[in-house]
Amino acid sequence: MYSILFSDAEKTYIWDGVELNLRNDGRKRNDYRPMELETDVVTHASGSARLRLANTDILVGVKAEIDVPYPEAPNVGKIEFFVDCSANATPAFEGRGGEDLANEISSALLKAYDVLPLNNLCIVPGFSCWKLYVDILILECGGNLYDSVSLAVKSALYNTRIPNVKGTYIDGTNVDLQLSDDLFECWKLDVSKAPCFVTLCKIGEYLVVDPTVEEEACSTASIVVSVGENGSITGIFKIGEGSFHQNAICDAIKLAGTIGNELNKTLKLALEKEENLGIRRERYGFLK
Amino acid sequence: MLTSKTFLKKTKRGNILKIVREHYLRDDIGCGSRICKKCAIINENAILDDKLSSSISKAYVNPHYLIVDTNVVLHQIDVLEEDVLINVIILQTVLEEVKHRSTSIYKRLNDIINNPNRKFYVFVNEHHKDTYIEREPGETANNRNDRAIRVAAKWYDEHLFENQRNISLKKVIRIVLLTGDTDNKEKATQDGIFAASVEDYIYCLKDSKGIEDKLSKQEISYNEDSKEIFPCHLTPVQIHEGIKTGKLLHGSFQASKENFLEGQVNVEGYEKSILIQGYIELNRAVHGDIVALELLPEEQWSAPSEIVLQDDEVDNEEQIVESEIIKPKTVKEKTPTGKIVGIIRRKWRQYCGILQDNILQNSTRHIFVPAEKTIPKIRIETRQAATLIQQRIIVAIDSWSRYSRYPSGHFVRALGKIGDKETENEVLLLEHDVPHSRFSDKVLSYLPKLPWIISDEKVLNNINMFMNCLKQIAKRTDLRHINVCSVDPPGCTDIDDALHCNLLSNGNYEVGVHIADVSHFIKSGTALDEEAALRATTVYLLDKRIDMVPELLSSNLCSLKANEDRFAFSCIWEVTSHAEIVQINFCKSIIRSRAALTYEEAQLIIDDKKQTTVLAESLRNLNNLAKILKKKRIENGALVLASPEIRFYLDSETHDPIEVQAKQIRETNSMVEEFMLLANISVAEKIYEEFPEYAILRRHPCPPPSNFEPLIKAANYLGFEMDTSSNKNLARSLDAAQKKDNPYFNTILRILATRCMLQAVYFNSGMVTKDDFYHYGLAASIYTHFTSPIRRYADILVHRLLAACINADPTYPELLNKKKMNDICHNLNYRNRMAQYAGRASVALHTHMFFREKVQDEEGYILFVRKNALQILIPKYGLEGTLYLAPVKGGEQYVNFIYNEENHTQSYKEIVFHTFDPVIVQLSLDSSNIQHEKLIFKLVKPYIHNFSVPSVKQDTEKSQSNLNLSASEKRKEGDAFSFKSSSKKKKKMSKQ
Repeated sequence: MYSILFSDAEKTYIWDGVELNLRNDGRKRNDYRPMELETDVVTHASGSARLRLANTDILVGVKAEIDVPYPEAPNVGKIEFFVDCSANATPAFEGRGGEDLANEISSALLKAYDVLPLNNLCIVPGFSCWKLYVDILILECGGNLYDSVSLAVKSALYNTRIPNVKGTYIDGTNVDLQLSDDLFECWKLDVSKAPCFVTLCKIGEYLVVDPTVEEEACSTASIVVSVGENGSITGIFKIGEGSFHQNAICDAIKLAGTIGNELNKTLKLALEKEENLGIRRERYGFLK
Repeated sequence: MLTSKTFLKKTKRGNILKIVREHYLRDDIGCGSRICKKCAIINENAILDDKLSSSISKAYVNPHYLIVDTNVVLHQIDVLEEDVLINVIILQTVLEEVKHRSTSIYKRLNDIINNPNRKFYVFVNEHHKDTYIEREPGETANNRNDRAIRVAAKWYDEHLFENQRNISLKKVIRIVLLTGDTDNKEKATQDGIFAASVEDYIYCLKDSKGIEDKLSKQEISYNEDSKEIFPCHLTPVQIHEGIKTGKLLHGSFQASKENFLEGQVNVEGYEKSILIQGYIELNRAVHGDIVALELLPEEQWSAPSEIVLQDDEVDNEEQIVESEIIKPKTVKEKTPTGKIVGIIRRKWRQYCGILQDNILQNSTRHIFVPAEKTIPKIRIETRQAATLIQQRIIVAIDSWSRYSRYPSGHFVRALGKIGDKETENEVLLLEHDVPHSRFSDKVLSYLPKLPWIISDEKVLNNINMFMNCLKQIAKRTDLRHINVCSVDPPGCTDIDDALHCNLLSNGNYEVGVHIADVSHFIKSGTALDEEAALRATTVYLLDKRIDMVPELLSSNLCSLKANEDRFAFSCIWEVTSHAEIVQINFCKSIIRSRAALTYEEAQLIIDDKKQTTVLAESLRNLNNLAKILKKKRIENGALVLASPEIRFYLDSETHDPIEVQAKQIRETNSMVEEFMLLANISVAEKIYEEFPEYAILRRHPCPPPSNFEPLIKAANYLGFEMDTSSNKNLARSLDAAQKKDNPYFNTILRILATRCMLQAVYFNSGMVTKDDFYHYGLAASIYTHFTSPIRRYADILVHRLLAACINADPTYPELLNKKKMNDICHNLNYRNRMAQYAGRASVALHTHMFFREKVQDEEGYILFVRKNALQILIPKYGLEGTLYLAPVKGGEQYVNFIYNEENHTQSYKEIVFHTFDPVIVQLSLDSSNIQHEKLIFKLVKPYIHNFSVPSVKQDTEKSQSNLNLSASEKRKEGDAFSFKSSSKKKKKMSKQ
């Protein structure tokens, strides 16, 4: 895990600010920082998104490939998450430094995305399906990694276009896939069920959303709640050290539900707005 | 400016990839017009004229450039090749699409573009910032390209207009878009571009010079009530699925030469090829097409009808009478039968033939009759019928609609007058796919410079050349002191072998075979080598030779001429007086032939006991050894087969044949042949030992037992048993089958045996198991071709391999590339076969010329008994023909012959025709069909009332100016009848 050097005086300052519901950057406890989001930034991928939240910078690419469904679930497709903690983000990630964090995030995503229906990804039951490889690249760490990753992943999946492929049985055993030569003949994934993460940080007696790196350093414990579009909770993970009281967890979940709901709605609006600009819209990417 | 192109691709393993390519747009691509000041700096090779005097078209007043779309190029390339069309802009979009769709047309288009006189400009519209377009959602790739073409045309129009603001509107250079698509044309017109179909444009030309005939007819409008003749072809998707599920089969369609309503398809995995009978079943397949077919249920299976049927109907339009006779009613041996349901790939090429007489004068629609019998008649439109009717012409097929009995095509070019020797030869070569154009300058550039000098004794101007010569000599053994001579047919200029024989002190003989060292001049990878590999063999027509290598090599530098120093590849044996080989030595050498003899001269020297020169002695020794070798070979089981052998005597000036004769064979032919065989076998062993995976060898597969059936049946009838279990037994039973009263009987039997054989083929030793190397005809366990590198490419390869074996030359990668070598072998086999057919066709051509305006009675023998005809051989001329027993369509039948399928006999009352029966027939040339002049055989004896014709008295004795045409000579050394004849006493045995 990454960390920063931090003095006690600074910590006290932050504690006091949280107590007053006025954080050091002027936000309230339940406020998010402004984010920048752009989709379709990697032309080679089936879908992609880049999210920048203060100093946190996440790039997600989705690649769709043909695969064979699991025998126990012949009617559904597959999804796989892979997190790459780039050493650019923080020197601590150098070598295999980021591996633990990466595994933690990807397993959290896999659990949380259990609710995403993958039936559409099946082409021919039992023979072929789409497998989505979600590659998450952490370019810079500026706090609140889980939330930003989840938002970027959802956006990238929203942006994913999967080619129309028709599967036909031949001889009853072999499957032939027919691909249209029109690039635009494709369909989009339904991500309405895809959850967002809300990280709640316990600073003093209070829960804070979207912590900065400094705030994370002051927190005694953090909990990540994955929230679906209608406020449903799809998963809870405890990250880092420290502990919560039973009641505190209940409060945290309740709070996360409302915030997550809001977050999902806002994201949806933003994505739709971008989508409406059409495929020929100007792209900024990393050039801005 | 950067943009990117994205497309989806399915990989072989079934994965789907999204591929993105960067695509750069530029602003420095010139328009290619001289009128343009804007692009002046970047227009490096502006070729489009700035001053077009006036429009060449009646429909468009403005002078204009043409832009063509892809379909126009693909379908109307013959028109584009016309010089009338100049100032044409070829868009990159079009060029790419053409390249993708047809390599051959792409090549032709490139040739036009590279001709500066034609003023074809390639505009790279895909990279021009103003003309590049991206594909819209829902737009097919084709529509996108059409749009790109329209955008480019529009851009040109505007771009040119900006340069001509102060010119009167009528003189402004515009763009005319030629398109084959009506939709595209409409859209272009809406955009304000002049657009026309090629047909409309050509018809409106002020001076069309007959190029409208070259228009390809894609659609011919038919009356709505016209009947569908053929069922629909399946779509490619249906065919694909059908083949995958095994419901449909695919293979290449081979039309029958004898019956135009019959053909067969060779399908992988089926032992017998699948029979297709009837018009509907053939369903517009043309000889050579790759077709998809459906196997009929077994109860509908049929057998090849044994009748000869030609499409003689004079264009009775769309009527097809499914003749009853097509399908034999009683069928004993059924073969798998199928019907064609789709065409996977057309293998149409250009065909040559003539126009059929048209009853309607001034009609533009004509029927073209191809010279090949496997190709259906083709419907074409021409206004030059009056002149073309006298000529041989070339026609291309464009399409074959369901409503038309014949495919429709267009006129490509005229070859010349029918009956003209030159024209006929050209036809022969074209029909047999023999590359016969002049050698290109690039090829010729690899020839050595003259004067070409070997020896270092002579004065050399160039020091480098001197060094080279020294090196060459160092590697070669100098054999100039040995008395070498060559024995060839008279007039032979490409002498590729020479012999010598010395008596050694230990009583053994030293025998040397010296082969022209062609591989010294033809180095691998050069244009010369590629051309030779493509041609594969020299083709000998009766009066013409089509060389594999340029004449400088074939008739001069490589030819082992008398009293000239020449490079050779020598194969030297030490043999005992019983012709047992003691040792072999291969080396590159320099030789100096003492004499270039003809077979006749050599024979005279041998027979003339008074001559005791070294040369005469060595010839005698060679002859004796050859006899021993031959005896051994025949004991081993080598076959002595036969085929009709004839020689033409041609008029010295007109080259018209005056007299035809069967050929004479001398002992010396056999002498040369034996040593060539020996050399070939020795070399085959050597290269196989050294390169077991890469040796180029020749094999002659053992024919399947069923092939011998006609032979066995025919011999049985006369009371002879044919043992065909092995080549040795066959040879023995052939020798035993002698009839005193019919001396020619044995020969006919051998001719029949020849017909049972399979073709000998070249192959790569790494691709075939050792057991299959066997050469059946020669009874040799391994064989190759080494002795005629001047006229066969296989020999050059073998030379290279052998040179590598003895460290005379290095190997090169291609030589050890199995796949490449295998491809070359396939080409060699194909070209060889074609050369053989071409040679035979040439003989047939001359035979016809000989019989022009002659009627003669000749003795003949029945070779085969068919259902409606007798196949007859005339030994005197080595000629084979058909005597029809059933009347030709429309004729009245007076005599009914009864065909006995079991015994293969035809009988009428007490007269029975068997195979081998002698008959007397009357020969005459039927010129009613100028395309296929055919010899008509009429029965004279035995006399059958109402069927036979009275005999004609030979009235005139023909003056004989027995001029033997030299060029024809070598062909008869076995090319025309190739392996059949070769086992006979021929020199070019090595053909096998």
